[in-house]
Amino acid sequence: MPENMTHVPYYPGCTLKSKALGYERSAMDCARSLGFEMHEIEKWNCCGASFPLTKDNLMGLTAPTNILIETEQHCKERDIDAKLITLCSFCYNTLKRTDFAFREEPGKLKTLNEFLNREYKGNVTVIHYLEYLRDVIGFDNLSKMVKTDLSHLRVAPYYGCLLLKPQKELGLDDPEEPVILHDFLDALGCQVIDFPGQVDCCGAYLIMRNPDKVLELSHNILEEASEYGAQTIVTACPLCQSNLDQSEAVRGEMPILYFTQLLAVALGLETEQHQFESHCIDPKSLISSCKKFKEFSDAK
Amino acid sequence: MQINTENNQAAIRDLEIATGETISDCYQCGKCTAGCPASMDPSPSLLIHLLKLGLFTKAVNSASIWDCMACLTCSERCPKNVSPAAIIEGLKRIHLNNMEPEINLNSLGQEFLAHSTQQAVVSGFRKFV
Ligand code: SF4
Ligand code: SF4
Repeated sequence: MPENMTHVPYYPGCTLKSKALGYERSAMDCARSLGFEMHEIEKWNCCGASFPLTKDNLMGLTAPTNILIETEQHCKERDIDAKLITLCSFCYNTLKRTDFAFREEPGKLKTLNEFLNREYKGNVTVIHYLEYLRDVIGFDNLSKMVKTDLSHLRVAPYYGCLLLKPQKELGLDDPEEPVILHDFLDALGCQVIDFPGQVDCCGAYLIMRNPDKVLELSHNILEEASEYGAQTIVTACPLCQSNLDQSEAVRGEMPILYFTQLLAVALGLETEQHQFESHCIDPKSLISSCKKFKEFSDAK
Repeated sequence: MQINTENNQAAIRDLEIATGETISDCYQCGKCTAGCPASMDPSPSLLIHLLKLGLFTKAVNSASIWDCMACLTCSERCPKNVSPAAIIEGLKRIHLNNMEPEINLNSLGQEFLAHSTQQAVVSGFRKFV
């Protein structure tokens, strides 16, 4: 491992440790290959998964506040930037919005600190892995590190909701016409399939109450992506992945990948641990169609 | 479960305080409903219309509030900076605060728990239980 690897604090969240293990492993492997190491903060709890939408619900902020406090401690002990990297869209949304709420209303932070009997100083910047690729690594640089030929792959970027909304608070990209995943795929050298359903809701947690509705919504997204010529869809959210994947199991055979799984293939990494087999639609044949460029193919 | 409200106006004021929203800001353009993927009936704008008319009991007992997925499309697009998603969550919470879960946890079954992502279960608990 190179010595000058940048240390980036990382919050996984529950799903990344279970259902979406392949997402975490591929993200970490890619990070190492790109020159940064994701370090899980020591003590973490579930973020609560959904940011409370009603202003008076301070209880819903306790879980994310604890995580922000742990991050501050983690960074202070190591004297590093308090920039917390996340992967799951739900975690990203909840943590970032909590921090934003405190910046807007310092009174809330005071109440929370008193209640928790700990102190969040308000110094954490919550970022998404995609943001790190775009703003720190740079997509231009990323494209130079690609070792696998993906030029035959037609990939549809799927954003969903919580990675982008509310824009005022997250500020990652335009919520109606985002480009970050497009630019990412472009850097990997694949054909980017721009389709209207890219920001439609997959049905999210409604899977718990009305799975038929979720399958219908996900089905519409998949149908549209296929009509536009996509062979696969990439997403940043484990719940989107799961809803789309389960719907596709009924509908067809398009694999739904985490963007980091495709990134690992592009970087020519060993993907055995990336849990492709845990998806309902196995992407193996699609992946095996991707060959390393000649200059890298011998140096396996 | 039906919520019975004696004083509709007071209930609407409480809802505004809880959510931080101002119901009268909505000018009923319907943009929220146009973009809502949940095919809600009554729609988000109609729910707000009911509140504007003072019909709190009718709004809070509308089955469609449970169809909302908090996708935030409505709130993002509202030209008047109203958040229908927040208002709907406020209405849900009035039911949940009465300790009446919207879903029967026992009916979920092992199959569901085995295949779901943790985040779906945790959010589901927040929104329905
Ligand atoms: S978009 Fe806003 S102003 Fe228009 S109907 Fe919906 S809540 Fe009212
Ligand atoms: S947040 Fe709810 S009401 Fe608003 S657009 Fe999404 S599903 Fe419809």
